Amino acid sequence: MDQVDMPQPVKFILNWGRRYSLWVMNFGLACCAIELIATSTSKHDFIRLGVIPFAHGPRQADLLVVAGTLTDKMAPALKRVYDQIPDPKYVISFGSCSNCGGPYWDSYSVTKGVDQIVPVDVYVPGCPPRPEALLHGIIRLQEKIAKEDIREKWSGQLVKPEPAQTY
Amino acid sequence: MSSQSPLRPTEIITRLRARFGQDVVQADEVHGHAVLTVTPERYHAMCVFLRDDRDLDCDYIDFLTAVDFTPKGRGFEVVTHVYSTRRNHHARLKVECDAEHPRCATVSDVWPGANWFERETAELFGIEFEGHPHLVKLVLPEQFEGHPLRKDFALMSREAKPWPGAVEGEEIDE
Repeated sequence: MDQVDMPQPVKFILNWGRRYSLWVMNFGLACCAIELIATSTSKHDFIRLGVIPFAHGPRQADLLVVAGTLTDKMAPALKRVYDQIPDPKYVISFGSCSNCGGPYWDSYSVTKGVDQIVPVDVYVPGCPPRPEALLHGIIRLQEKIAKEDIREKWSGQLVKPEPAQTY
Repeated sequence: MSSQSPLRPTEIITRLRARFGQDVVQADEVHGHAVLTVTPERYHAMCVFLRDDRDLDCDYIDFLTAVDFTPKGRGFEVVTHVYSTRRNHHARLKVECDAEHPRCATVSDVWPGANWFERETAELFGIEFEGHPHLVKLVLPEQFEGHPLRKDFALMSREAKPWPGAVEGEEIDE
């Protein structure tokens, strides 16, 4: 599939299927995890966007949501979980701590951004972000998946960023 | 289980003074707790006394930590907070340590709970607890170098970007 350029309708169908069945891996590390769990429950209910809570293990997951403070000691565990998720996989960095260290910007033990460990698709700012912010982040990720070229993703080259479109 | 009333801080101080005399360097009442600065030589004996004396009966170690006073021209201070679950009173012991090679007697043989407190204090402040059975890193990564809660520990982020607000302790010094 990474050898040939597929016709546009096939690309559309594959991306459409991929973006509406994101089985999410819960990597909750701090208070942000509570907001992530709240987003999965009945009031906000991200299953209506096709995000399925929660994968029983990384091998079944499509989406990794890193919610909370990643420490240098925890970083190898995050890398291992990410490596166990089968391709195609996506990462949302949820909250200030996982985006850049947040309030722990000068700490001796906190990793200053999970993008130092794993590639991140969408950053959700806030401390902690509300569930609505995660819903918005998921929609932005789905927009990103919709215009994705899997050949580019699997060849290891970065997908050229394009302005977000609504489908 | 007895239902004795708690000792007042002054009563705790009186009992320790009566037993250890000049080895209680300083004693105050802070927020309803007895706070005693003691000499390093008798610190361990005082802990045993706090635990075993029938009136004091401090059977529980609440926390053990340290304070870095090196910017003030002093060494480190090990703070041990103990509590009596049967009588509901608190006592806090402070021991001065040398700034160059801080050392302190272990109390992990008095209260087993002190074991992990001392390991944590040892790695964060670099204080050696003499007689501790297993003084290795507890929470820091194995390859971590330095003692991060010391005042002279360099934070790499702050080397690149200085703290934008008031410097710690600045208000107190003025």
